[in-house]
Amino acid sequence: MDDRRRRFELVVLPHLDAAYGFARWLTHSPSDADDLLQEAILRAFRGFDSLRGSNVKAWLLTIVRNQHLTMLTQQRRGVFVSLPEEHELQDDQVMTGTMPGPESASIQQDEKRTLDRLMSALPEEHREILVLREIEEMDYRDIATVTDVPIGTVMSRLARARAALKARWLQEVSGEPHAVR
Amino acid sequence: MQCAESLRTQAYFDGELDAVSAAIIERHTEHCAECAALLKDFEQVRTALRHDLPYESTPPALQARIMRALDKEVAVKSPRGIAERQRSSRSRPFWRGVFSGAGGTAIAASVILFLTAAPFTDPLLDDLISAHVRSLMPDHLIDVVSTDKHTVKPWFAGHTDVSPVVADFNQQGYRLIGGRADYFEHQRAAVVVYQHGAHVINVFSWEANKAAMPKDTTRNGYHLVFWRAGNLQYCAVSDTAWNELQGLVRLLQDLSAQEG
Repeated sequence: MDDRRRRFELVVLPHLDAAYGFARWLTHSPSDADDLLQEAILRAFRGFDSLRGSNVKAWLLTIVRNQHLTMLTQQRRGVFVSLPEEHELQDDQVMTGTMPGPESASIQQDEKRTLDRLMSALPEEHREILVLREIEEMDYRDIATVTDVPIGTVMSRLARARAALKARWLQEVSGEPHAVR
Repeated sequence: MQCAESLRTQAYFDGELDAVSAAIIERHTEHCAECAALLKDFEQVRTALRHDLPYESTPPALQARIMRALDKEVAVKSPRGIAERQRSSRSRPFWRGVFSGAGGTAIAASVILFLTAAPFTDPLLDDLISAHVRSLMPDHLIDVVSTDKHTVKPWFAGHTDVSPVVADFNQQGYRLIGGRADYFEHQRAAVVVYQHGAHVINVFSWEANKAAMPKDTTRNGYHLVFWRAGNLQYCAVSDTAWNELQGLVRLLQDLSAQEG
């Protein structure tokens, strides 16, 4: 294995799960998430030489997000071309297709299912920022990098996203004894 | 009507405030019921999201598929891959969507997001604050470390498009600690970095254009003071107190007057 490839695995692949989780929330579809992640990792590998210094996770999630936007545009234009691997790997597809996802995981409690559903129903920019802050635990600066907006926008958007989720949650559980606050 | 401190309260909750600001917000939330309630809401949302949503790890089959794709990438070394490497290794201003093959898409999308999110904000202010906040991260503050203006000033000549006034005001409490190059208004701007007590003050400068000069303002807890001297637009950014920041601005204005 060449040196560049080895360095890439050491430096970037520890963040593979974070990139996968983010891809799942961005795409809503396990198979789209798979394609997105693969394409993003390849792009990251091609651009690996331009990675400078510190924050690999923010760098990688930026690539995932940009790739997501690219694929969305391609799909809307109808020029989306499937990756060749899809046809070669039928078995894998079946396996990944049956993995429970953030939006469909078999969670027993109502509250968990509710939360999942509420998250999926949020506007994309709200869902995205909540995932980056609360699940990936990124700081404002990194979120600004990934979402390509100034830090001031990160702060106001995050506030709106939190308020929106809270409001929907209250709406959902209002009248029930275990209502939040 | 939202409390004016609500965003700073959120920043406190997210661990984004320095110790002094954090203490201010702690005092604030003792008597502001609205911000105290906000803190509780934030905590509930966080607890719910962290505990009740499953964290997905990459399925092994997908990992294997990605490894095979990487193998192919290494083996082929396609012209596209090489072109992409060359393209992405060019340096770009940090706030653009870096490394993206999405290029126009990403920028267009971010413009749309920006417009819908904050229709009345001046992007220049956001850029300045972002640059200031970013400069406070390790290794980002200073490109040339020096307390000597005879070192800092010539450095700008080779690295930026402008030549701002530089001096050490250690006597007056503003220690020159270095300089940095940044990118504003389509130019390589010069940033002179001062330390005042525990606070960092970034003094940005770039060639003034015809656009109206932004008004002095406070955003996200950072003060911004704008002034012009000669053909240069200056902006000092810091979380130090207003009068302290203006103290440095006056010193710099006097210096410009002397040199001009």
